[in-house]
Amino acid sequence: MEPPENSNACGGEVAVEDAQKIILRWDSTASEEARERMIFEGDREEVDRYLKAVDDIQKSMSSTSISDDQDKVNSNTIQIAMARLEDEFRNILLSHTTPVELDSLAAADPSSSVHSSAAVEYEEDDHVGDDEIQDQIQRVDSSASNSTTSYRSTSSIREIDLIPQEAVGDLQSIAKRMISAGYLRECIQVCGSVRKSVVDANFRRLGIEKLSIGDIQRLEWDALETKIRRWIRAAKVCIRILFASEKRLCEQIFDGIGTAVDDACFMETIKGPAIQLFNFAEAISISRRSPEKMFKILDLHDALMDLMPDIEVVFESKSADSIRVQAAEILSRLAEAARGILSEFENAVLREPSLVPVPGGTIHPLTRYVMNYISLISDYKQTLIELILSKPSTGSRYSGDSTTPDMEFAELEGKTPLALHMIWIIVILQFNLDGKSKHYKDVSLAHLFMMNNVHYIVQKVKGSPELREMIGDDYLRKLTGKLRQAATSYQRATWVRVLYCLRDEGLHVSGGFSSGVSRSALRERFKTFNAMFEEVHRTQATWLVPDNQLREELRISISEKLIPAYRSFLGRFRSHIESGKHPENYMKYSVEDLESAVLDFFEGYTVSQHLKRRSQ
Amino acid sequence: MLLVFLVCSLNLWGKEMPATEYSSSFLGRITIRRNQVISMDGTHELELEDIEVFKKNVADRFTDLLSPPDEVICTEPLMSISWLRKLLDVFLSCEAEFKAVFIMGRDPSQICKPPLDRLIPEFMERAVKALDICNAVSSGIDSVQQCQKLAEIVVSALEQKPIGEGQVNRAKKALSSLLTAMMVDDKENHCKGAERTWSFGRRGNTAGASKERATGNFRSLSMIVAKNWSASKQIQAMCSNLVAPRGVEPTGLAAPVYIMSTVMVFVMWTLVAAVPCQDRGGLASHFQIPRNLVWGQSMSGLQEKIAEEWKKKEKKCSAGLLQEMQRMEMLGQSLFEFADGFQFPTETQKMDEVRTQVAELAGICRRMEEGLVPLQMQIREVFHRIVGSRSQVLELVDADKVSQLVV
Repeated sequence: MEPPENSNACGGEVAVEDAQKIILRWDSTASEEARERMIFEGDREEVDRYLKAVDDIQKSMSSTSISDDQDKVNSNTIQIAMARLEDEFRNILLSHTTPVELDSLAAADPSSSVHSSAAVEYEEDDHVGDDEIQDQIQRVDSSASNSTTSYRSTSSIREIDLIPQEAVGDLQSIAKRMISAGYLRECIQVCGSVRKSVVDANFRRLGIEKLSIGDIQRLEWDALETKIRRWIRAAKVCIRILFASEKRLCEQIFDGIGTAVDDACFMETIKGPAIQLFNFAEAISISRRSPEKMFKILDLHDALMDLMPDIEVVFESKSADSIRVQAAEILSRLAEAARGILSEFENAVLREPSLVPVPGGTIHPLTRYVMNYISLISDYKQTLIELILSKPSTGSRYSGDSTTPDMEFAELEGKTPLALHMIWIIVILQFNLDGKSKHYKDVSLAHLFMMNNVHYIVQKVKGSPELREMIGDDYLRKLTGKLRQAATSYQRATWVRVLYCLRDEGLHVSGGFSSGVSRSALRERFKTFNAMFEEVHRTQATWLVPDNQLREELRISISEKLIPAYRSFLGRFRSHIESGKHPENYMKYSVEDLESAVLDFFEGYTVSQHLKRRSQ
Repeated sequence: MLLVFLVCSLNLWGKEMPATEYSSSFLGRITIRRNQVISMDGTHELELEDIEVFKKNVADRFTDLLSPPDEVICTEPLMSISWLRKLLDVFLSCEAEFKAVFIMGRDPSQICKPPLDRLIPEFMERAVKALDICNAVSSGIDSVQQCQKLAEIVVSALEQKPIGEGQVNRAKKALSSLLTAMMVDDKENHCKGAERTWSFGRRGNTAGASKERATGNFRSLSMIVAKNWSASKQIQAMCSNLVAPRGVEPTGLAAPVYIMSTVMVFVMWTLVAAVPCQDRGGLASHFQIPRNLVWGQSMSGLQEKIAEEWKKKEKKCSAGLLQEMQRMEMLGQSLFEFADGFQFPTETQKMDEVRTQVAELAGICRRMEEGLVPLQMQIREVFHRIVGSRSQVLELVDADKVSQLVV
C-alpha cells in the first residue's frame, strides 16, 4: 500500500480524525475485541483502511500547519498504531515459521568427497584389500551419478522463498511505516528474533550440534569423522541456501529502505547460528594432531575453501566482518594442521618402533600403511600441493643423530615440496625397514624381507599415476635397483654355500694310485648338499613372497643357477657314486625332485603344512 | 659484575660439559660452582631470574587493576567495559611473557620431568576450557547488545521534547522487555523478581508481548552452548589442582605454569561473572586465590571484591556484574516506575530527574556501542593466543613421544 498523495487541508483534518478512530479501535490495550483478532489475518479492506489511517496520521505529523495539541494527539496515536503494527508484524512472521524441507536439499551431493579413508587400514591380503577399496570408491561414484536427477546440488548460492510473497508484501508495508515513524529498532528486533528461532529449528533438523571444544577433544576420531562429513553437507546447505535466503528475505522486507537496515536484521537473525556453525570447524582445526586425521582435515579444508566465495557474498556487510574473518582463520588453521600432521606422520614413520620381525619375511604392516597413506595423499594432490610449501626437514631434531637417513635434494631439482615429501617418506620407510630387517637371525631372510617390501613400494608407486608422477621415474629406477640388489643379496646369502657343494675343485685327486675323483670327498659333498638343500627347503618354504610374479621370478632365478649346476654335477659324478655302496643315500634327489622342491619356496607354508606335504 | 659475565659465558659452553666433570683447573672449579647453582629440574640461574621478573610483572599489572590512579577510577570503574578491556590487556601481556619465559627455546626433555609431566597436561585441559569460556562469553556479550538496543529505544522515546504519553508508553514497553531480559537468569527461568513487574503494568497485553520479545532475545544465550554446558562447572574444573599442594608455592619451571594457570582462571572467572553465561550458580564459591602468594596479592584482592559483589547480586537473578548493565538495570527500574505512573503533565523537578537518568542511560548505550565490539575482538585475540600457546606446548610434549600409527 502506498502512502496517499497530499490532499487539501480540510479533507486532511477529517482524514486525520477518521484515521484516529480506526487506530483507537484497534488499540489492543483498550479493547478485548482488538486483542482477539489480527488485522492482517482478516479482510484485506480492513488492512488497507488501517494502513491508510497510519499514513494519514504520519502525513499530518509532518505537516507544519497543525496545533501543538493536535501534534500531541497524533504522537500518542502513532504510538498506539506502532505498538499494534509491531504485534501484527510479529504475528505474520510467526505464522510462517515452518522449517524448510531440508532433506531433499541436503541429499547426495556430487561435490562431496569420494575419498575413502578406509583405504588406510591394513589388510591381511593386500590384493583383496585393494580390490575392496576400489569397489568402495566405485560404488560411491555410481551412486552419486545415479541420483543426479533426484537431488539439487548445493554447489552454489541458491535462494529459496522462506515466506510466501503475499506475507512479504504485508511485512514490507508494515516495515516502511514503522521505520518512517522512527520505530526502526522495534522492527529489526521482532524480525530478527522470530527468524532466528526458525534458523535454530533448521539447524536442529540439519543435525548441527552444539558441541564445545572440550567435547570435541574428548571424542574418538571415528565419531568425529562422521560428524565432519555431516557438517560439510550441512554447512553447504546453511551458507548457500539458508543464510542466503534469510538475507534475501531481509532485503525484501526492507526493500527500498537502505542496506544498513536489512544488514542489521540479517545479522540479528544469523550471527549466533553462523558462529555456532563455524565453531565446530574451528574446534576440529585446533585438535591434537595425529596421522589418521589427515584426510578428513583435508576434506574439511577443501569444503571450506569451496565455500569461501559464497561466505564472502553472504557475509559481505561490515557488521559481518568477524564471521568472514573467523572463516578465513579456520581455513588457515586447517592448512597448518595438515602441514603439522604430515610432519607428525613422517616422524612416526621414521621412529615406528616395532621390533618383532614379520614372520616369513613378508610385507610389513608399516609398509602397507605408509604406501596406502601416501597413495591417498596423492589423491589429494591438488589441495596439498598448495598447502605444503617447505621441503621436508631431513635434519633430525637432535643433532648428530645417526638414526636419520640422509637425502640429497640436489638431484631432485624442480620437484614440488609435496613431491619431495613423498620421496622423503619412502626414504625413511626404507630406512626404518632396514633397521627392522636386522632383527632377523637369518641374513637371507633379511634380504628377502627388504626385497618384498621394496617391491611393494615400487608396485604401489607404479599403481598410482599421481604418485608416480611425483616420485619421478629417476627415483623409481633407484628403487627398482635396490629391489634387484636385495634379490641378489638374498641369493648370494643362501645359495653360494649350497652351490659351493657342487663345485669341481677339490674333488679330483692327482697322483697316487687312483687318479680321478675322491669318492669319499664326493660322498661328503653329496651329503652336505642334501643336508643344506633340505635345510633351505624346510626353512624357505615357510617364507613368503606375496607377489606372484616376483615369487616366480625368484624361483626361476634360483632354478637357473641350481638346476644346471646339479644336473651337470650329477652327470659328471654319478657313476662314481653308483659304483659304490648305497648310492641312494647320496644321490637322494633327482633333478626333477629339485625342480619340484623349488616350487615350495616362498609359499609361506606353516610348519605343519610343510611336514604334511613332505610326507605325501 | 665479572662473576655474572663468567656465569653468562659459561652458560653457553657449560651446556656441553657433563655435570659430574671435575677438573683441577680454575675453570673446572667454576664449572663445579655453576653446577651447584642449577636447581633440580635443570633451570639455570638466569632462567630463575626471568621467572622472578615474570612474577613481579604479573603482580604489578594486577596492582594497577586493583588500585588504579584516581583519575582513572572514574572513567574505568571495576567491572566496566573499559576495565574488562584492561583486564584482557593484562592477560595478553602475561601470556606473552609466559611464552617468552617458558615456551621459547625450551628443551623438550625438561617438559616431561616431574612435576611438569603432570602440570602440563592439566594446563592444556584448562586452556581448552578457557577457549570454551571465551566463546560463551562472546555470545553473552551479544545478549548485552540486545539489552543495549532495548535501552536505545527507551532513550530515543524519552529524549523527545516535550515528552508525550505516546512516547512514554513506548518507553515503558521497551523498559518492560529490558527488565525482563535482565532478570531472566542463566537457566532461562523467570525469577520471582520478574513477576513483580507484571503487576505494575495495567496493560496486560503489552506485557505479554514484551515478555515474548524479551525471552526471544535471550534465547540467544543458549544458541551457542549445549543444554548441559555450565559456565560454573567449567570454572570449577579449571580450579581443580590449581592450588599448590600444602600451600607450598612451586619452584623452578613449575612456577610460571602455576602463575599463568592462576591468571587464566582468574580472568575467565571474572569474565563469566561479568557477562550473561549459561549456568553460573555458585560461581563465587568455586574459586579462591590463596592469600599467601606474593605475586597474587592484588589478584586475590580483586577476586574478593568481585566475589562479594557476586554474592550480593546472585539472589536477585541479575544479568551479571558488568558495571554498565548494573547501572542500566537501576536506571531501567527507576524509569519504569516513572513511566508506569506517568500522568501528563508531570512536575518539572520529576522531568529533570528523568532527563538526567535518560542522559545517563544514553551514555551507557554509547559506551556499550563503542566498547562491546572491541571487547569481543579482544576476547577473540585471547582465544587465538591460548590456541597458539597450547599448540606450541603440545609440540614440545610431542617432540619426545612418537605418534602411534594406527597400522
